[in-house]
Amino acid sequence: MYRSVAQLDAVSNFLAGWFPTYFMRFALPEPSVQGRAVYALRLRAGRGGERRGVMVVGGTHSRELMNPDAIIELAVDLFVSHRSGSDITYGNRTWSAADIKLILETLDLWLVPCMNPDGREYVMNVDSLWRKNRRDNPRTECDGVDLNRNFDVLWGVTQGQTSCAQCSDVYCGPEAFSEPETRNIRSVLDKRRVDCFVDVHSYSELVLWPWGHAPSQTVDPTKRFTTLPSGTCAPIGVAGYQEYMPPRDLQRFQTVGSRIVSAISSVRGRAYTSEPSIALYATTGTQSDYAYSRHIANPRLRKTYGFTFETGPWAGSAADSFHPADPTLIKRDAKAGIIALMQQCICAIEVIGAQFFATEAEVTELRRIRDELLATTEAGRAWIALFERAQLPLLTTLMADEQLSSDAAALVKRAADLAKSTRARMRDEDVDGAIRFVRTLSKVPAAVEVRADLRAVERRLEALRGLTSARALESLMAEPPQSRRPNARRGARG
Amino acid sequence: MSAEKVDPGKGLRFEATVHPGDRDVPLESVADLDLDRVPDPQRGVRLLVSTDQIVALLERGYEVRLHRVARVEPLSPELRIDDDEAVAWLEKRVQGIPREEGEP
Repeated sequence: MYRSVAQLDAVSNFLAGWFPTYFMRFALPEPSVQGRAVYALRLRAGRGGERRGVMVVGGTHSRELMNPDAIIELAVDLFVSHRSGSDITYGNRTWSAADIKLILETLDLWLVPCMNPDGREYVMNVDSLWRKNRRDNPRTECDGVDLNRNFDVLWGVTQGQTSCAQCSDVYCGPEAFSEPETRNIRSVLDKRRVDCFVDVHSYSELVLWPWGHAPSQTVDPTKRFTTLPSGTCAPIGVAGYQEYMPPRDLQRFQTVGSRIVSAISSVRGRAYTSEPSIALYATTGTQSDYAYSRHIANPRLRKTYGFTFETGPWAGSAADSFHPADPTLIKRDAKAGIIALMQQCICAIEVIGAQFFATEAEVTELRRIRDELLATTEAGRAWIALFERAQLPLLTTLMADEQLSSDAAALVKRAADLAKSTRARMRDEDVDGAIRFVRTLSKVPAAVEVRADLRAVERRLEALRGLTSARALESLMAEPPQSRRPNARRGARG
Repeated sequence: MSAEKVDPGKGLRFEATVHPGDRDVPLESVADLDLDRVPDPQRGVRLLVSTDQIVALLERGYEVRLHRVARVEPLSPELRIDDDEAVAWLEKRVQGIPREEGEP
């Protein structure tokens, strides 16, 4: 069962009216081609300024009906969990109330349940297999632009499933951002902080990430889409072209993608596949590639990790796959995947920084160390991966414990101070304090899945004793976490 | 070549898969025809196509297998939530949670 555009809008209107401390509803700057308002919701709990943001978009392709419903229902699920302190359970997977509290109190969730309302209305009332928006293309009877080809990343390059023909169902439009619906999405990305992005489509049970136009490679940074012509109405003219992606970003897409897949699988065992978009088929001008591409085209912009979900399995026919008679289970899978993405977007260092520090100086310094040093070597990236793996299960416990969170803040502060001076030394009290903290964390129940990681951290901390911060960083960049103890270790002093 | 529009209520539309055929025509070239491609469970080429589009595919040497008619018709009313049901769903979900302000 599926909601009409008016019913979707009514839900967001009621939520914002009834619970304004959680929901802010706003019309995006431009009405759709046919004059319908397009609404977004911001969902958050608690006070404070701008936070890390997750943007979730649905309804880009009109006939993929279940995703706008899933997004608005997820908004309600998250709100109810936070407001009533209840867990969220989808099938065999449960997120504790504390998990959801962490999401709503540390992130801004920007939801656009139905970015293409004209298309959805057309599906409901005229053609249930319509894909595009309802643009009246001039000098032809063919209507519509494929909104997921209209974004400004290699726009108009007809690689694979992209076309400059107005009658095509993958028509990219007369120019990049020719459509108000796509300009609306750009507007949110321009005006709000969005660190993670997902455009939710159907079907095929996929979690996709950049790039859509070419395979990725991590060795030749000169191969960037910014060097290729756009608007050519021809395929990429470079034989064997492969798009550069920094190894750190590739690792991030792969690890987050695999965690999303794992969360979905835990609901009822559906085996989604995480892979680059081009594995489905080649595309250009897509929404999630655009979200990720923005910081490359304009280095002043924030990096946004962009994903596309393709929810639901093949159901025997295209119509039954796009809008099955009962999408309940598929929506549950989709919501699990979106929650997993939200969790992966949380940054423990930023959470601690926002709570304890007056400025972003410490967070900025540690981010610099991560991105400019650790991310440049395989061993360094292994340490980043370890941190990202361990932070989520531990953060809920940590933030609920005043002493632990205070200790964490002190460590972050000291690490940032050390990072600022290459000559500063890791004193015994630095190492001992950090080891005590890690050992305390190891004892909390939530640490069970990351205990080996914590042991690896403890071992390395011991090895860093007395080193300058420069040498300590060199060590981390040269040697990945050791899963087993090479020699007998010294205990923490004091 | 661009595909003809399937006029709502006029032309027939089919769900079809496309295969290289006896002439072993590369499937990648199907993209040149600008047809409405939908995901295929076997990662093959599955399309929603009109009769004219089928003719174009056959003329290029492809083998086209028709699986079903995909009529140009509105979403079945059975798949649509009615207004009362939509409101009742939300009220049930937030039942017991005090509203912060009056109804919008």
